[in-house]
Amino acid sequence: MHHGGVRIFDRHPRLRWAVPGAAAAVILAGAAVGTAGVSADSGLPAKTAGELLVDLQGATPQAMSGTVSYLADLGIPALPTGTSGGSSDLTSLASGTHTLRVWTDGAGKSRVDLLGERSEYDVIQNGKDVWVWDSSAVSAQHAVLTKDGAHEADTTAMQVPSTPQEAADLVLANLDPTTEVSVSGAGSVAGRPVYDLVLAPRQSGSKVARVVLSVDSETATPLRVQVFSSATQAPALYVGFTSVDFGTPDASVFDFTPPANATVTEMGGPDGSAGEAPQSNTAPPTVVGDGWTRVLVAAMPRPATAAASDASSGSQDLMTMLDSLPTVSGSWGSGHVLDGTLFTAILTDDGRIAVGAVTAQQVESALAAG
Amino acid sequence: MSASETAPVVEQSRRGPSAVRSHGRMLRSELRLIVGRRRNQMGLLVLASVPVMIAIALKVSTPRRGNNDFITAATSNGMFVALAALTIEIALFLPLAVAVLSGDAIAGEANTGTLRYLLTVPVTRTRLLLVKYAALAIGAVIGVVVVVVVGVLIGGLLFGLGPVTLLSGTQVSLAEGLWRLVLAALYVIAGLTALAGIGLFVSVLTEQPIAAMIAVTIISTAMWILDGISQLDWLHPWLLVHYWPAFADLFRQPMYLDEIGRGLLVNLAYAVLFVSLAWARFGRKDITS
Repeated sequence: MHHGGVRIFDRHPRLRWAVPGAAAAVILAGAAVGTAGVSADSGLPAKTAGELLVDLQGATPQAMSGTVSYLADLGIPALPTGTSGGSSDLTSLASGTHTLRVWTDGAGKSRVDLLGERSEYDVIQNGKDVWVWDSSAVSAQHAVLTKDGAHEADTTAMQVPSTPQEAADLVLANLDPTTEVSVSGAGSVAGRPVYDLVLAPRQSGSKVARVVLSVDSETATPLRVQVFSSATQAPALYVGFTSVDFGTPDASVFDFTPPANATVTEMGGPDGSAGEAPQSNTAPPTVVGDGWTRVLVAAMPRPATAAASDASSGSQDLMTMLDSLPTVSGSWGSGHVLDGTLFTAILTDDGRIAVGAVTAQQVESALAAG
Repeated sequence: MSASETAPVVEQSRRGPSAVRSHGRMLRSELRLIVGRRRNQMGLLVLASVPVMIAIALKVSTPRRGNNDFITAATSNGMFVALAALTIEIALFLPLAVAVLSGDAIAGEANTGTLRYLLTVPVTRTRLLLVKYAALAIGAVIGVVVVVVVGVLIGGLLFGLGPVTLLSGTQVSLAEGLWRLVLAALYVIAGLTALAGIGLFVSVLTEQPIAAMIAVTIISTAMWILDGISQLDWLHPWLLVHYWPAFADLFRQPMYLDEIGRGLLVNLAYAVLFVSLAWARFGRKDITS
């Protein structure tokens, strides 16, 4: 056996090259299987959009954990974050590919980690306690919720119309004039068979080509969301599990005690909402259009003069970036336009901002109307 | 031509345990050769100097807050000096060490004419190649261990050792932290051993040790450069070095093993492919000098 093999290679030395050749073939085959995943035909029974919506509502919050891949190609210029690469800052989510780890026990405890190359940005909810941990800044923020997550889940459950079927019909009836809703089965996410709920705008001018929500066939848990732009082939926004486990995660995952050398700040306010920037002095935004072609017109939260005085270098960078955007003008005035893959935003020189998932022309006409 | 393979093989099959002993002897003499070379001793000094430089630079500079990484974390726990040193040296110094060793492995022996004498020893070329590869792997172990041990020692000396704050903000005991450091070192060693596979193949192709060293250095450096070009992201999972920095994932709580697992697979694929390529070439090679 052993000798025979060696003798063959000795008599026909050329045959030796078959060994690395076979190794290469095995590697390529393994890689192909690895990327393609389990093949499609999962034999799922066909479902209508209504049935799928009923499943979605009926789904109880699941204990689960897994790894989520996040990809954003919004076509907006990279935000000046100060550091290059490996950032786990939340602003980095505006573009690029990221990996998140998520855990939830389905009853008020959850944790989301945004992984940087050698850093982490974690949001941990353990009952009433919410911790935000930023390893780059060695800082932890803490907030206490007035009601814990379990109660919150109850109230959302109560807002649902009397029967799930009624609610599903209501949603579909509301969607129908503007949206084509369809279901395609036999996909798979993280190795689990899913139903794809496809929402496509009937209206023209929308930058969104379609939204695909992939729902786990067994637990009715959404496992992937893809937003396709009419401008690009690949999804402009992709959030999906690469691996998922429906077991209850270890309770210690949700424990967080800030390390001794960390800066700990308490986020004030009993509802933990005080962390948000105060924007009360700006006029309420107006909405022009309906459905997918809705355009939001609002006064800009930044009064150019006041902000300039205490602007940090970061916001100055932002100003420079805004100024470098192409300009447009029309009957509504003039301003800078940010033409993304999924949305268009126009910042007018007189301090208004108009945003919509539509073409620049439609945002302009909304500005003229609003 | 290598018609000499059959006779020793038949002999070996009768030997059993003594064959293991003879291979052990061969490996030991190979390691003595590696460790004894003045050039390699200097190389180890260079590897050891990086954690020392990091620690001293941190000690004399004023502490800066913000943008915390392994380097700044070292000021609160000396253990991180070892991790910072690994992070830095994995890009050039450690691959360079592997390149130097693999240049000597076959090409060096062919160049000095000692390879011919090695082949007269009653051991098949296959066994000789495997012993050479094992010696390269042990060389990688020595290099990484030197970096890590010197890093922990100098870091402990200048900044002290204590409970380890992981990237997830969880604090674990020093023992747990050191255990994770050992795992990180093993993962780095696995990557370098795969690079040694490429080194062995290149070393079989040429009789010029310097050429082999330069080629291996260029290959590893080129892969780092390609890995840095984001437009080539489709290529990145195929690059040997792409998952190397993933050892940082061992310092998350719970440990994140997805990328490390993929990294080990890529390492294994490269090692199997290039060692078998080296074997195919070496079996037919005429040893002229």
